Amino acid sequence: MAKLVGPLRKELADSLSSCRVLVVGAGGIGCELLKNLVLTGFKNIEVIDLDTIDVSNLNRQFLFQKKHVGKSKAQVAKESVLRFCPSANITAYHDSIMNPDYNVEFFRNFQLVMNALDNRAARNHVNRMCLAADIPLIESGTAGYLGQVTVIKKGQTECYECQPKPTQKTFPGCTIRNTPSEPIHCIVWAKYLFNQLFGEEDADQEVSPDTADPEAAWNPADAAARATASNKDGDIKRVSTKEWARSTGYDPVKLFNKVQLFKDDIMYLLTMDKLWKKRKAPLPLDWTEIHHLESSQEEACGTGLKDQQVLGVQGYAQLFHHSVETLRSQLIEKGEGAELVWDKDDPPAMDFVTAAANLRMNVFSMNMKSRFDVKSMAGNIIPAIATTNAVIAGLIVLEALKTLNSEFDQCRTIFLNKQPNPRKKLLVPCALDPPNPSCYVCASKPEVTVKLNVHKTIVQALQDKRFKSGLETNNNKFLSDFGIRNGSRLQVDDFLQDYTLLVNLIHSEELEKDVEFEVVGDAPDKAPTPSVPEEGKNIANGNKDSAQPSTSSKAAAEDDDVLIVDSDEEPSSSTMEASPESSNRKRKHHGTDTDDAASKRKRLDQQPADDDEDIIALD
Amino acid sequence: PVERKKQSNIISEEEAAQYDRQIRLWGLDAQKRLRGSRVLLVGLRGLGAEVAKNLILAGVKGLTLLDHEQVTEESRRAQFLIPVDADGQNQAQASLERAQLLNPMVEVKADTDAVGSKPDDFFFQFDAVCLTRCSKDLMVRVDQLCASRNIKVFCGDVFGYHGYMFSDLGQEHHYVEEKPKVVKGSNEANDGPEAKKPKVDPNETTMVKKTVSFCSFKAALEVDWTNEKAKNNLKRIPVDYFLLQVLLKFRTDKGRDPQPDSFAEDSQLLLQIRDDVLETMGLSSELLPNTFVSYCFSEMAPVCAVVGGVLGQELVKALSQRDAPHRNFFFFDGLKGSGVVDYFGSK
Repeated sequence: MAKLVGPLRKELADSLSSCRVLVVGAGGIGCELLKNLVLTGFKNIEVIDLDTIDVSNLNRQFLFQKKHVGKSKAQVAKESVLRFCPSANITAYHDSIMNPDYNVEFFRNFQLVMNALDNRAARNHVNRMCLAADIPLIESGTAGYLGQVTVIKKGQTECYECQPKPTQKTFPGCTIRNTPSEPIHCIVWAKYLFNQLFGEEDADQEVSPDTADPEAAWNPADAAARATASNKDGDIKRVSTKEWARSTGYDPVKLFNKVQLFKDDIMYLLTMDKLWKKRKAPLPLDWTEIHHLESSQEEACGTGLKDQQVLGVQGYAQLFHHSVETLRSQLIEKGEGAELVWDKDDPPAMDFVTAAANLRMNVFSMNMKSRFDVKSMAGNIIPAIATTNAVIAGLIVLEALKTLNSEFDQCRTIFLNKQPNPRKKLLVPCALDPPNPSCYVCASKPEVTVKLNVHKTIVQALQDKRFKSGLETNNNKFLSDFGIRNGSRLQVDDFLQDYTLLVNLIHSEELEKDVEFEVVGDAPDKAPTPSVPEEGKNIANGNKDSAQPSTSSKAAAEDDDVLIVDSDEEPSSSTMEASPESSNRKRKHHGTDTDDAASKRKRLDQQPADDDEDIIALD
Repeated sequence: PVERKKQSNIISEEEAAQYDRQIRLWGLDAQKRLRGSRVLLVGLRGLGAEVAKNLILAGVKGLTLLDHEQVTEESRRAQFLIPVDADGQNQAQASLERAQLLNPMVEVKADTDAVGSKPDDFFFQFDAVCLTRCSKDLMVRVDQLCASRNIKVFCGDVFGYHGYMFSDLGQEHHYVEEKPKVVKGSNEANDGPEAKKPKVDPNETTMVKKTVSFCSFKAALEVDWTNEKAKNNLKRIPVDYFLLQVLLKFRTDKGRDPQPDSFAEDSQLLLQIRDDVLETMGLSSELLPNTFVSYCFSEMAPVCAVVGGVLGQELVKALSQRDAPHRNFFFFDGLKGSGVVDYFGSK
């Protein structure tokens, strides 16, 4: 029986103390992971994180205390770990992993890399670096009660980018500008408004009514007419929002009433009457009128969170007024040409969006939302707890132990559910998928080396190929007639060019009798058959608590519903797919499953039949 | 506890800021219930430390760390709360300071007594009790004592790569679940003026009340396997259940868990106990193949993290009375990465 060091076999325990590992991220998963690594016996650990500690981290990132708020996560994590394991050799980097300093050579220092990230861009980057360095990578993610771990090993498993990941949800411009139907539309609009007034103006973040809205036109000519009319009408509309605001001294009342917001623009929208044929029409708000309304007694804060209160129209009008004034002062303080950047944790910025969004919701007859809820949506906040991260980080280390032993056949993707599945599983291990041969990130062009006599082999013998010229008369010519010689490389494209095989030719006059050709070395493996997942819930990317809008108006919409289009924003605001219904672990069914090297080899023996394959000589 | 504690209704700004990300998940009401709960945690080794961390971070009112054992080099290396110079001190006492620092808003206490020596009424001050490293008899006793008083009882252990959690939330455990509100789809084509009604937010949810019952630890362990029905179901039973029986018997017989220093001797004993236990249950030894002995020594830190995470979350659910509890065992096999929930005992 094996000798044990603690719970581990001695050989495993020894390899742990000598190996070097990299942990990317020192947040929710990262803190738990560092703790698990040192307690398990890992000695040489490097950890990198660009972030600093925030009070909202403290419910789960247990290596940090209140006194550490504002400090580097990587640095404080290292210090905290050393306190209970002083013999650990930890290097901390307060830096972005995407910094070019961390090149392939850097990654090659490690036997294993473990991601503890919250955004897709960094994950893509680390994925590619680990592929380039040929170092195993353990990828993971959590959101709420759900989590997932998987292992990525070049050539053996799927890489992070083998399967397409769902993209950020975005909304069409006309929904934001003309016909919002959900609170999120109003929130996005409010964030755009912030940028138009106080921040960096963006042509894709227009807030004024969209006269070119295809839905607004009774007929196409009408739409064109409106568009021209508004341009002619011109001066008021063409002046940028910010310039206009500046010209009125950011007068909140004027803002409220006049141009953008809740009165004049709404009145304009109302004239686009086709929009309102089947929808409830918006009701404009007037500043002075609001204040004549009976103010509803707002409930004493008492039992709830202050932020969870939903105010009345008056309340949000006040909040709007107040926040505009505060933001105006901020702008003035910053000086000429200054711009503010929206941040959910900046109170007046958050107040502004809360107020503006709610006023717009009111205009469009939606139930208003509390600041708490608006902050969730505007800031892309993903709820997070300690226990989910603890479980996932435990699973990461268990997978890590297998990778160190190169037991990749034992490695699994493991899903953590909120409730057990019908087979009673709360933790669901699934076999890892082989790499996607069409993955543009990790697939190399498959190659095979073939030995034959170029003087004696006719073109036709090579899988009954035709040259691209399509001349059948070529079939009986010898390969050497085309200048094909020793060392020539041919590219074989299959069917719809979905599969490409490179054939290296070695000229030989010493083949056995009746042998036309000989495959030298390994032929590329069959294209893998996709396996059926046990359970699919892809915690795609995680989501960094982000100040960036999760939406853009770039998508041209046929209809008014939500479109999923490629996001153009910063990496920090990618969302994660958590609903049990949507299994994002779609298996890509390769159309070329059958067109693998093995069957090609088979066809090489057969007589020419009809075929769709071409040979292109590369040199 | 004798009377249901009144929830403090005011959440401070400090709490709101710190607990923000979890309030957004389980709601303010759940957080308040947690905040009014007192928990007893027995055993501060690898698993205990994980549970302590998880409960303290969650924001319970009070957590009592109970452990009569002394810190050894081995026990210190197993967890992250004990300072390096604490060898020889009491384990609960040594863990106290770092545990408290995890969240100053929780009252963390250390108790150095042996749990077996505590009088019955000691337990009545708590809303939930979590037992680790306890003998089967002790767990049975405490469970019997507590469950009838609506004190939630949890047991859990880690043996090498394997771990389990058991819960007894009483005959009637009430909880709520958040479900999406059923929104009647509007039929735009057909509606006339009705179409102009304000739209209901598709993200609105409603809270549904539910009740579920649990059996005692005793009943869970004393399932009769000799009848036909049980035998037929055997294939679907996690083997870990039988492994647990073996390990609990080892613990009772030896007064400790299998130790790496006595690997040879303990392995022999484990195999023998396996034979005895399964035979008593009328089952074949083949149910639990010999290989198990290599993987149930000491406590694997990552396994403690997984089991401690699940156990911690079950405590949170039970105390906050939100979301369906796992019923009544969770078994984790660290070799396979599989975690299974299954019910044993009288239904």
